[in-house]
Amino acid sequence: MATKRLLPLTRFTQPLRRPYHSYTHPAPPGPFNEIERSILSSAAKHIPSHGFTSTSLALGCSDAGYIAASTNLFPKAAFSLVEWHLLAQREALKGEVDAIAGDGAKPMGVGAKVKELTWRRLMGNEEVIHRWQEALALLASHPSTSIHELALLSDEIWFLSGDVSVDTSWYTKRASLSTIYAATELFMTTDKSVGFQETREFMERRFEDGRSIGSTLGSVGQWVGFTAHAGLNVLRSKGVRI
Amino acid sequence: MKLSIGSRSTRASLQTPLYDFLAPSLIITPRTRKHFSTTPRTLSATTHNESSKPPLSQPHRTPKAGPEAATNTAPPSKPLTQAQRDFLTSALRVNQAGELAATLIYTAQTPPIVASHPHLRPLMAHMYEQEAGHFKTFNGLLAKHRIRPTAMYPLWSVAATALGWGTAIMGREAAMACTEAVETEIGGHYNGQVRVLLDMIDSMESKGQEVGEDLRELVDSIRKIRDEELEHLDHAVENDAQKAVPHELLTGVIRAGCRGAIWVSERV
Repeated sequence: MATKRLLPLTRFTQPLRRPYHSYTHPAPPGPFNEIERSILSSAAKHIPSHGFTSTSLALGCSDAGYIAASTNLFPKAAFSLVEWHLLAQREALKGEVDAIAGDGAKPMGVGAKVKELTWRRLMGNEEVIHRWQEALALLASHPSTSIHELALLSDEIWFLSGDVSVDTSWYTKRASLSTIYAATELFMTTDKSVGFQETREFMERRFEDGRSIGSTLGSVGQWVGFTAHAGLNVLRSKGVRI
Repeated sequence: MKLSIGSRSTRASLQTPLYDFLAPSLIITPRTRKHFSTTPRTLSATTHNESSKPPLSQPHRTPKAGPEAATNTAPPSKPLTQAQRDFLTSALRVNQAGELAATLIYTAQTPPIVASHPHLRPLMAHMYEQEAGHFKTFNGLLAKHRIRPTAMYPLWSVAATALGWGTAIMGREAAMACTEAVETEIGGHYNGQVRVLLDMIDSMESKGQEVGEDLRELVDSIRKIRDEELEHLDHAVENDAQKAVPHELLTGVIRAGCRGAIWVSERV
């Protein structure tokens, strides 16, 4: 019983694992092998019509040229499709960042890039948005995977935007972006406006909230730091040996 | 028989330089210790993998981060194993935490020390600048290799400032004893890392794998930083670190604290 209780806890710490990312060595193999990738990418085409279901998966198997029993490769069945969607969309962001860089005449700041990448990731759900609540239901029953994926996504967005902070703000940045993303994604499932205009506005408001909280905290911190430093210097100027 | 003894002694002499961080606290004459560093002054001597590496040209590399870092890709080789990645992750994280603490210790020590001993101003500034350079190096490496900084960041900041300020208030000797204790631990810690990295490179080379520029550069910069830390140790001893009043107690407590902080930072 004790080990059963502990197991999910250790899996919850997974989001905090950020192993060394090497540039001179290839990345270790991902969660899906070559066959699984081909089946899942074919199955993804059926999601808009058949949803995140075993039916899509079976159709994907036959499209990729495997027998229908190949769905046995995926013990998690429909949830594998959700995992695949999250993985594929996250990997696609690498290409998006080049598109962003090529867009504007003047280079974008980190904040603007984060916002734009978040938006493009949300638009990655556009095709399947009417089926997305099925995926959310599946994700809710696999909390450790969903938290892990969310953490990986926000880490990816901050990294691709060129953020290099490695202090406590590393944590606050990722936490706030994860919150904004999860909230906006949920909002998007009920958005019926043209071109997801309302979702865009919702996201802008969330970023603005985050920015104002951040700048308030920053100002308070600056004031406290300045006052403490000034007080210390006054004491020193009076000859106190501190 | 004679041959086997000879070969063992040569092997021992090849390995002992790695342990020379132990020397400073045992030998009393501080001047001679500067030559104990294992980084070869001339590239002719010492171990096998050092002869082939180019001398370090720039003092502190600032690695690129973000997407532009991904552009300089080398020919493909085998992926790093999980154990290797875990080691590199925790090593770089703990190094950044250590250098953060070091910069804060010197920042906190400088005003009280300089107020009572103005002649120490250049030394404190010099040591601070070197630590700030190390901190910058590891910050860059963490960002480049996408490693999470330690979760204890705020705690280490407070603890390091308190340690620096507290020892500086106790006087010059105590402040120097603090430096002595910290740098002794750090020197040993870096030596351990260099040893593991050289082993890693050795095993990669023996399997015919591509080692990669990143790992070689990492060994070089850790070596160089280690040498600068040991130089601080020399300066501390020259400035009467061992005349601090409860010297054994003070250094013992600080060294235990360092080891604890290293242990924690490697994990969270």
